Amino acid sequence: MSTPKAPTGHFTLLYFASATSFTRKQHDFFAAPLPLAKLYEAVEEKYPGIKAKVLESSALTVNLDYVDVEEEVQKGDKGLVIQAGDEVAIIPPVSSGYEHLYHGQTLQPDTC
Amino acid sequence: MAAEPSPVMCIEEENLFVQLTHDRLDIPSIMARVKSPKAGAVVLFAGTTRDSFADKPVVHLAYSAYAPLALRTMQSIARDVKGKHSLTAIAMVHRLGVCPVGEESILIAVSSPHRLAAWRAGEQALEECKERVEVWKLEEFGGSEGAVWRANRDGQAGARVEDTMGDVGGQR
Repeated sequence: MSTPKAPTGHFTLLYFASATSFTRKQHDFFAAPLPLAKLYEAVEEKYPGIKAKVLESSALTVNLDYVDVEEEVQKGDKGLVIQAGDEVAIIPPVSSGYEHLYHGQTLQPDTC
Repeated sequence: MAAEPSPVMCIEEENLFVQLTHDRLDIPSIMARVKSPKAGAVVLFAGTTRDSFADKPVVHLAYSAYAPLALRTMQSIARDVKGKHSLTAIAMVHRLGVCPVGEESILIAVSSPHRLAAWRAGEQALEECKERVEVWKLEEFGGSEGAVWRANRDGQAGARVEDTMGDVGGQR
């Protein structure tokens, strides 16, 4: 697994699916430390519009663990701080809901 | 897809195997991983790329993954399903990269002493994989429609994709 290694004093932010489409990249490096509560602001500054289009419907992981961004924002100064070398990832909704409601109808399964 | 050697993308523990691969999926080998003299039932699910989505022709699908996280989630699902249904063994493999129409994108094999537990476990394992595993699907419709990242969990039509095909395959 060749996850990109961040330069000294930076962390890696990984993009997948719709996040990759929006940024046209698979990852970026951001300066660390950065409070998690400030992450979406930093990403929005770099990619205007991404918050509404991608981030608000996505989940977030830090070093492979899911974190609740809203909860971290509410914690203020006591919230999680992203450190240099951390691997953070934006996780858009996964591709493969099997059956789901759409305008009250059940769609056919997609791949199966 | 870069011509670099494929990284090892699997987790194996006793009677449990999960894998991501860019290769074609092999049904006999996944069956062999769960067969046992203790198991009177083997249930295999094969998810195959269909040729259409909502009446639009699909040329092929491509999958990308956050591989280390997807494997960890698959392991967690497999452990949970195996314990809950007292399975003899469970094996799950998901294909990444381009998956042509008619080829398998996911195989799930479970074995148990009796068939009812195996049926139920296979169903649960598939549902949870589709719900939770960090794998994303890109549908190539061909023509002006182009490629669409599918976030099916929302039941939405997805967003058009431009110039991102080179990214398919995800983190290597």
